[in-house]
Amino acid sequence: MGATANLFSSAESEQHCWTSQQWHTLKQKYFEFTHDNTSGTEIMFTTRQRILTFVLIVVVTVREGDCQTVTTPSERALIEVLRSDAPAADKALACKHLAIFGSSEAVPELARLLTDEKLASWSRIALEAIPGAAADEALREATDSLKGNLLVGVINSIGVRRDAGSVDSLIGRLQDADAEVSSAAAVALGHIGNVAASQALRQALIGKSVNNRSAVAEGCVLCAERFLSDGNAAEAMAIYDEVQKSDVPRQRMLEATRGAILARGQDGIPLLLEVFQSPDKQLFQIALGTAREFPGNKLDQALAAEVARLAPDRAALLIQAMADRKETVQLPALLNAAAKGPTQVRMAAIVAVGRVGDATCVPYLLDIGIESDAELAVLARTALAELPDDQVNKDILVRLAKAEGKGHVLLLELAGMRRIEAIDELVKALNHSDKSVRNAALTSLGSTVPANKLSLLVSQVVSPKYAEDIPLAVQALKAASIRMPDRDACAMELAAAVENSPLATKIALLEILGVVGGVNALNTIGTSAKGSDPELQDVSSRLLGEWMTIDAAPVLLDLAKSGPANKYQVRALRGYIRIARQFTMPEQQRVEMCQIAFETARQPAEQKLVLEVLKRYPCPETLQLAVNARKIPEIKDEATQATLEIAQSLGSTAEELQELLSKDGLIKVEMEIIKAEYGAGSTQKDVTEILQKQASDYQLILLPSSSYNASFGGDAVPGTAKTLVIQYRINGKVGEATFAENALLFLPMPK
Amino acid sequence: MSKQTMQLHRRRFLGSALSAAGAAVLAPTIIPSSALGRDGAVAPSERVVVGGIGIGNRGTYDLGCFLEQKDVQFVSVCDIKETRRVAVKKLVDEKYGNQNCDMVRDFRELLDRNDIDAVLIATGPNWHATAAMTAAKAGKDMYCEKPVTKNISQSLILAETMRRTGRVFQAGTQRRNLPHFAFACALARTGKLGKLKKVFAHPAGMQALMSGWLPAEPVPNKEVIDWDMYLGPAAWRPYNEKLLDGFNFEKGGGFVGAFNGGGVLEWGSHCVDLCQWAVGDCPPPIEYNAPNNGQLMARYENGVELILRENDWIPLGSCPVRFEGETGWVEAGDSGKLVLSSPELLAGRTVDEIGGYPATFHVRDFLDCVKSRGLTKGNADAACNAHIACHAANIALYLNRQVKYDLAKHEFINDEQANRLRSEALREPWRL
Repeated sequence: MGATANLFSSAESEQHCWTSQQWHTLKQKYFEFTHDNTSGTEIMFTTRQRILTFVLIVVVTVREGDCQTVTTPSERALIEVLRSDAPAADKALACKHLAIFGSSEAVPELARLLTDEKLASWSRIALEAIPGAAADEALREATDSLKGNLLVGVINSIGVRRDAGSVDSLIGRLQDADAEVSSAAAVALGHIGNVAASQALRQALIGKSVNNRSAVAEGCVLCAERFLSDGNAAEAMAIYDEVQKSDVPRQRMLEATRGAILARGQDGIPLLLEVFQSPDKQLFQIALGTAREFPGNKLDQALAAEVARLAPDRAALLIQAMADRKETVQLPALLNAAAKGPTQVRMAAIVAVGRVGDATCVPYLLDIGIESDAELAVLARTALAELPDDQVNKDILVRLAKAEGKGHVLLLELAGMRRIEAIDELVKALNHSDKSVRNAALTSLGSTVPANKLSLLVSQVVSPKYAEDIPLAVQALKAASIRMPDRDACAMELAAAVENSPLATKIALLEILGVVGGVNALNTIGTSAKGSDPELQDVSSRLLGEWMTIDAAPVLLDLAKSGPANKYQVRALRGYIRIARQFTMPEQQRVEMCQIAFETARQPAEQKLVLEVLKRYPCPETLQLAVNARKIPEIKDEATQATLEIAQSLGSTAEELQELLSKDGLIKVEMEIIKAEYGAGSTQKDVTEILQKQASDYQLILLPSSSYNASFGGDAVPGTAKTLVIQYRINGKVGEATFAENALLFLPMPK
Repeated sequence: MSKQTMQLHRRRFLGSALSAAGAAVLAPTIIPSSALGRDGAVAPSERVVVGGIGIGNRGTYDLGCFLEQKDVQFVSVCDIKETRRVAVKKLVDEKYGNQNCDMVRDFRELLDRNDIDAVLIATGPNWHATAAMTAAKAGKDMYCEKPVTKNISQSLILAETMRRTGRVFQAGTQRRNLPHFAFACALARTGKLGKLKKVFAHPAGMQALMSGWLPAEPVPNKEVIDWDMYLGPAAWRPYNEKLLDGFNFEKGGGFVGAFNGGGVLEWGSHCVDLCQWAVGDCPPPIEYNAPNNGQLMARYENGVELILRENDWIPLGSCPVRFEGETGWVEAGDSGKLVLSSPELLAGRTVDEIGGYPATFHVRDFLDCVKSRGLTKGNADAACNAHIACHAANIALYLNRQVKYDLAKHEFINDEQANRLRSEALREPWRL
């Protein structure tokens, strides 16, 4: 590796803190960089390269003894690098250092690089950052001789530095024949933003030049912003108005329109309203955005009046903007728009009330919530559910006590949606003759019932007054059970109910127990799985197979070995293997589970699942299990594949892999490579010959390198994931396989 | 319930999940079902015409999220790699059953198209800010992948530019539109945890990310790979295939590493961003300490501590955050799950568990705001503050000392070295 590469990698790898005791390590590091690692001989560096090497190591590693500050590097040494014949990479790095540690002393050498197409950008990184007149002067001077992009870059840097001393020069550049240069000058003048710059830009705005109008307008708007932030609104306003009325690109006009409104302060309201009436979509959009940032509360009343003057689609958008002015929004205007008018506007207003309304909005929304228009009613209900004011809950409770009809149902629903404690009203509604009332009450109980009253819902499932309510009662009980803080206590209550329930209810309760989880639920379901009822066996074994904690493993293994029916034994074993595959556990435990699973499995399908687990967790023990599995004839191919993959993951070389398999009796085959292509998309490279040379009498093909690119003579599609597609024949049967880049090449036996 | 209203509700699920905690609710675009075609098709006037800039792996995922939105018409792909242009065109054309997706190598050609409303920017981080600002000045709204900026200066200019141009900006901080993260942030922000004391983020590696200057290799034909355009605003260096990993190229930071980006930025633009949200999307912290035992502590103006730490997380997946108040705490991660100091914090609610940080909801939020001109969840001001916090933490990390940040002047107090790290010149001819 050359000096350049060493320098960069060393710099990037060292960010830690040094103490004075660690100087010897620093010296050692310097030695390492200047000596060949293998031979110990010194690499031939020039004196300047040595200086640079040492300086850079010091810069990035040395801190003072208290580790609180960075030691300033030697600026002189960095300047020396720039003066030297050091590689461009070293000079670039020196520029980066000088950006932080350089002073005006470094400016002359940095300025010399401004003519260098490779290093000019690096030089400006430093020149833009170094404070003081020297850097300004150097950049200014460079504009006299540079052209094209290099000149544009320097002008951009002048703009960033806001060098007022460059204004005259930049004004001259506004007439440059190169549009990129004149545009850069216009924007730089905009950044400087003083009176002289703005006057020149305004003059240019009314001029005839066409190749930089967008940039001139951008510069004008930048000047106007600066005047406005400096308190000179009148000047800002004048500039914005000029840009707005000029022949400039549409986006510049939009920016000026926004500025013209805001610069006028409260006097900008008429202009904003005028823009809202514009038939131009983009102007209307600018008005929407500007309305959101317009200060004060005077605008809100004006916007409220504006709603009626706009077409429904626009009025709906204005309503959203009004609601975004949360501090000053006119709620009555929103409520009025929600109550009547075009549907689209009403919808927007209802949503807006839900966002920014308060308790005073409840009666209005309740009325809409029971309207016949389903879309409006749903939006009103959602708005009621979302109203942020806590007083809303108290209001709903009061209304619930005396509610009737559709309104009663809606209020019951809201109790659940807003999680209002209204247990008494909800329980009372459970016995209502109207099914919709009972259903609303059940759903809301599911959302609100506390732990000490869970039995209310259990009884609705086990012994309901109305049998038709059972499905909804089950849903409610499930919703409530999931959120119970003590899941074992909840499971105990549910388990007790299982005992005394008819079959259908038992199944429903077991399903809920499966979602609740925990020790009690697991035991209940485990017992049920080994019981005598086939339907309960089915449900329980399925629930165990989906269990989400590792403690289900012994229950599943027991069921796999001594379950009441073979199909549930298989299901249980698969669940056991799933736990080994998916869950975090000590590796030894996983290996033991895989070993047990192999011993318990009676069919190849389950044995193959175990192999998948082994592949997913490569370690010496899983490798051994895979090797052992090759002795099972039905899964020998899969076990071989697993062995290879695990061994490769463990870092085995290709030769070691072949040896591993040879020792264990890798079967020879008659192998023929028909065609092989490597690449991506339409760019494919024919690598048939290479693979034909590498193929042997085994399904495993060893390439010269673990890198496909290296093996196949380079990268045909840089920066893109590639695949290798092989058509082959084994023992006379044709097969095709696709391999991701650098994957192990083990060709499957064609079926 | 009509189909349209159901769609509306799916989009609004997040707001519903949060309202108890007082979170802001997304205002979707509202169109009555009667305004839609029989099959729910969106009228041309309601469509958002989108182009894509830099569509690699992440971009292709984002693009998928856009394409599944009925009101999106994707019309053009720009990439410096021919293979990607071809692959994206194939994907889009197959989706629409035509051959209309345009392919360009220079994104300025795409921005010149008057019919394009919005762009998806999924280049490498080197390009994000420059492309975003260029797009804004061309009058396009944008969904821009993170990290959005390379330094503090870019972060500030981003926010200013979006304000000035009136463009809708969505940073690719999609966790802001996932219910469990949103709920956790809302708990912290609305006082449900008591007075907020500490917010924790997992930067997943507080170390430099390298790109570098590697040995020169033959420069490919620019129609295949446009190296000059790939470098874009990054300082010049010779072509080397290994630098084509846009994900890691010039991620930002500007440190004497020398070509590295700050490690805090990659994940911080997500997890520090969530911490910012939890604190109320306030300005970034004002003090950043040197790292100590794998932790870096920063302090907000209101005294809340932002702690970047590598260890001691509950295993909830990548990108975990934790918020601690005087009376409670919450921790959340990419598994979609929450852990709370007390179930009472749920106030009887269930929070949707959506693991795997999908961007679909975030894309929807963006499209709704393109129409309403409202603020996206990952708006430019929010992204600016979160990115400044990451950049400033990186600077403290690099300088290995405490730095103090003046929020009014946006400069470090009495620290010239730190101040010089706030910005970095762009390669010619690019500017912000």
